[in-house]
Amino acid sequence: MNSKKSKIICITGGKGGTGKTLCAVNIAIMFKNEGKKVLLIDGDVENPNTYLLLNGKLENKKDVPFFKPKINEDKCSKCGLCAQNCLANALLHIKDAFPIPILTVCSGCQLCYKICPENAIEADSKTIGFIYSTKINGLSLFLGELMPSEARSAAIVEALLEKFEEILEAEPEKFDIIILDTAPGAHCDVELLIADADIVIPITEPTKFGKLDLIRIMELIKLLGKESRVIVNRSSLLGFREQFLKELEEENIKILGDIPLDSDIVESYCQGTPIMDSNSVFDREGAGYRAFNKIYENLKKWLEITK
Amino acid sequence: MERKIVGIVSGKGGVGKTSITASLASLAKKDLEIQVIVMDCDVDAPNLAIILPPEDESTIKKEDTFTTRKAEFIENQCINCKQCIDDHFCEFNALKWNSQNSIPIIDVLKCEGCGACKVLCPEHAFEIHPVKSGEIISYNSKRGIPLIYGKTQLGSTTSGKLVSDVKEFSSNSNTFNNSNLILIDGPPGIGCPVIATISNLDYVIAISEPTPSALHDLMRVIEVIQHFRIPFGLIINKSDLKSTFQKDFKKYINETGYTKLGKIPFDLSIPKAMSFAQPVVDFAPDSKASLSINNIYKNLKEVLWNNIQ
Repeated sequence: MNSKKSKIICITGGKGGTGKTLCAVNIAIMFKNEGKKVLLIDGDVENPNTYLLLNGKLENKKDVPFFKPKINEDKCSKCGLCAQNCLANALLHIKDAFPIPILTVCSGCQLCYKICPENAIEADSKTIGFIYSTKINGLSLFLGELMPSEARSAAIVEALLEKFEEILEAEPEKFDIIILDTAPGAHCDVELLIADADIVIPITEPTKFGKLDLIRIMELIKLLGKESRVIVNRSSLLGFREQFLKELEEENIKILGDIPLDSDIVESYCQGTPIMDSNSVFDREGAGYRAFNKIYENLKKWLEITK
Repeated sequence: MERKIVGIVSGKGGVGKTSITASLASLAKKDLEIQVIVMDCDVDAPNLAIILPPEDESTIKKEDTFTTRKAEFIENQCINCKQCIDDHFCEFNALKWNSQNSIPIIDVLKCEGCGACKVLCPEHAFEIHPVKSGEIISYNSKRGIPLIYGKTQLGSTTSGKLVSDVKEFSSNSNTFNNSNLILIDGPPGIGCPVIATISNLDYVIAISEPTPSALHDLMRVIEVIQHFRIPFGLIINKSDLKSTFQKDFKKYINETGYTKLGKIPFDLSIPKAMSFAQPVVDFAPDSKASLSINNIYKNLKEVLWNNIQ
């Protein structure tokens, strides 16, 4: 493995509930077990769950501010230029009245603040979520959390990535491996993280829903020009494994490995002890444990051939 | 009966939103009191069409939506002054400088189409154009249930707007006016598309399962539902999952005092039904899961029309 530059691995999947966080956490743990310096970034800012699977506490909470236009009524001439130019319709202007900001639709572009001829709009801010940085069981974790009823989740993902880039700039060798865990879907939060990765691992399950959503996320990964290999989770479900793997092959989708249904995995998930943790009490010969080990070996081989 | 619009959300993905929506729709279709239509607002990953395929391919209606805007750079207007970069026109970091050609380049994925560059550039070297944000697909399904769903254009960035477009499109349709129950399969998460899905609904069904992640995500989505003051009820899926978390989960849910529409035990009939692209209530009507969903459907009707909590 190239020791000079850290490798960024993005775990995603399109469909929700396929095991993205489960895989992200256990892959991070396996690298840590081998003495690698690992940073796990939880970019599912609408529902960050990594710390629950690690049974850890969130620390070092930092607010993520978001632009909020504030009208200075002493300076405002009620000209309405701000409202005319706001494509998001986030400023309501009625003739001879002060403009009223509609914060729920504001994109944060700050155009109103930049063009006001009277400098009557101030760049105020409101908190829309938080980022945390913590260390749990030898893993460094950055995690973003959107405040419920706020909509601008991408701003939290960007705040996470900024923090991460700052650290890499200051200390390029601080981490060997960086794991990005994304939200379900194929929207901007997911795009931002895939775009930042060296390689992408989509997680799917052997169902019609899993396959349809996988094909969609593969299109996005291709659009962003990234290499990917898939993990099929719950592969033993109803005996669909062989058929499903064959179908993926027919779509020219590369497979990193598969994880069968396993009661140890369910229990580890509910306890908050990753099955691959060196202190976990789970059966080292169990199907889930062996599947993760195999995936890890395949992943290391893949990283060696990836520049 | 008065028309009711009901959304199905969960916070966490993969806990059964689509399977349960399909089964509730199928039960409603057989109910003589009800005229049901279904919307799939999980526009990033719409899956309901797998269980509700069209009756006749030729009757599928597709309409492109153009609610996303993107900036375009007009090179022959540019005087290479670099003010767009130096004065940081773009708060979304979608403008990068190409020093080789001394021109800005637009990162289309990051561009929000806000129009700041267009207004701020003294040489008018940027224009804003609507681009395809997705499509709205509607048809009558084989089961006789009308389905309307949205599908985002990859890279177009705005799922929330498309959700609002799907809801508006459906409210202008004839089938909508003749219906008295609209079921909306929602997206996972708690962000923009979820807010767009649940705004102005009559009722929300929140689905969870007895794991720490699902409970955590459920409580977050309930915060959003409560923020918009919409009545809601819970469905616990895989309710008999073997785990050490069961006790804590039950205690927590009971203490909230939230309305429970019912629970569905773990039942392989559900994935089996899905593999045959059928709602479980049709595929295995006597299975444990189907009996539970029948019961939930009854409770839902009580809550919606008889106002019994």
